[in-house]
Amino acid sequence: MTPVSIGIIGILVLIVILLIGLPVGFSLAAVGLAGFCYLVSFDAGLNLIARDFFATFSNYSLTVIPMFVFMGSIAFASGMSRRLYDTSYTLFGQLRGGLAIASIAACAGFAAICGSTNATAAAMGRVSLPEMKRYNYDDSLATGCVAAAGSLGILIPPSTVLIVYGILTEQSIGKLFIAGVFPGIMLAILFMMVVTIMCWRNPRLAPAAPPTTLKAKLKGLTGVLEMIVLFALVIGGLLLGWFSPTQAGAAGAGGAILIGLLRGNLRWDGFLFAIKDALQITCMVMIIVTGAVVFGHFIAISTIPLTIADWASGLPLSSIAIMAIIIVIYAIGGCFMDSLALITLTIPIFYPLVVTLQFDPIWFGVIIVLVTEMGVITPPVGVNVYVIKGIAPDVPLEKIFKGIAPFLIALVVAIIILILVPQVATFLPSFAAY
Amino acid sequence: MLLVTISDIIGIKILKSPVPGAIEIVGFLGVIITAFAIAHTYLRDGHIKVEFIVMRLSSGTQKVLSILVSVLSLVLFIIIAWQSFEFGRVLQKTGEVSMTQGIPFYPFVYAISFCSIAVCLVLIVEIINLIIKLRK
Repeated sequence: MTPVSIGIIGILVLIVILLIGLPVGFSLAAVGLAGFCYLVSFDAGLNLIARDFFATFSNYSLTVIPMFVFMGSIAFASGMSRRLYDTSYTLFGQLRGGLAIASIAACAGFAAICGSTNATAAAMGRVSLPEMKRYNYDDSLATGCVAAAGSLGILIPPSTVLIVYGILTEQSIGKLFIAGVFPGIMLAILFMMVVTIMCWRNPRLAPAAPPTTLKAKLKGLTGVLEMIVLFALVIGGLLLGWFSPTQAGAAGAGGAILIGLLRGNLRWDGFLFAIKDALQITCMVMIIVTGAVVFGHFIAISTIPLTIADWASGLPLSSIAIMAIIIVIYAIGGCFMDSLALITLTIPIFYPLVVTLQFDPIWFGVIIVLVTEMGVITPPVGVNVYVIKGIAPDVPLEKIFKGIAPFLIALVVAIIILILVPQVATFLPSFAAY
Repeated sequence: MLLVTISDIIGIKILKSPVPGAIEIVGFLGVIITAFAIAHTYLRDGHIKVEFIVMRLSSGTQKVLSILVSVLSLVLFIIIAWQSFEFGRVLQKTGEVSMTQGIPFYPFVYAISFCSIAVCLVLIVEIINLIIKLRK
């Protein structure tokens, strides 16, 4: 059998063992190990796994993960999500659909200190859903907007998905982070437009909340100040080249602890919770990345990526058409797989093709994030939807998915804009030092 | 485990006033926090799985599949524990150390091996429990 057919069998076996419930990281490592053993030699495979585990665990670039995860956990434990929501509430509350718009703004703000979609959705869902319920917002709209806006967590930096993408493709994590800024703001605005259009067509969806005074608005602004300071420290530091990504994450986590202590709302139990939470998420991500490294070695020697790249570049299709096909494959895969699993599984296969077609790797990273954002809110495996369902157990799943549909259109629009105007993503990184 | 994370953070904090070999130290601490958290994360069901198909199966099939999944995981971690131990021994014999601080590599490789054994123990307990449940 040719290495390519072994590779294809490996991918099929991987999909089967993923579906029977073996954890993603374990599955990737197991198939990678078995495939490498078969294609090279038993001893080489065994050597490989020990070396890959040690090399990945001790990789300095990867220590960026615990830093940023910890920063997000601390921000949640010290009540930053609550204050962010209060601020956007006083700013947007009296508009038609104002609470939904406020939730999106607050999600975008929290995404700037947190790198995961489900954490953003969970943090914001807990504070915004009860408020929208109080003002008789339509359940579909309320849950749908938080689930969708929670997905901003991986687009607006920091972002676990961009970190993993950066490591697998050896791209600068700092540049990837900065590339996510404009598309993230653009997407947040698109989401807000969706709410406005929906409420304009059907005002009963979202009754207006009582107006707030200008004084309250100004006072509310202090709630975002800490978020802006942290974001400026982390992303500004990266942009100016003060910090490596790991150092930026550490500065952010340290800053979040300091703010929590100064404000007096970071308690010992909250701190412990944040550490445990961060440790568990870190371990989960690290195991997946390690599995992906082992699997990537197997896929590389199976020569599948080269074969696909050769085949696709020989097709009578424009590179944009091929990119469209890749995006559709990701969108379908995203329906069934978690974002990290999808990326770690597919990047070794598709990335060489993307490079062959001369697409900008940083731009592709942002595209991939947008597509996986669709994945976290589409059935049957939409992580964010289950998070929201956990917070609002009385709303049926179908209602949440129905509420999400209009926001999916906004995501598709965002992807099209990025394809037509790649500069949205590539403009800022051209100034970055790291 | 918590202490290690804190020291990891502090380790990086010190980075601002350059510590020789800080990058190596942080990398090694990365090994410690990840390795020691694997078993814990497993116990708290923190490793991401694809569950939407399994959820739709009958509870009997689910139990059989979870035994299969645990056995597969067990085999994988036995190999990791065994190979990390071997790799550690090689590094110990050749005396490889890090570039700046001269910290030997092998204790950290042994740590991975040790933690993998812990994961194996967790898995063995889980398999026994699952079999007992299945018999009922």
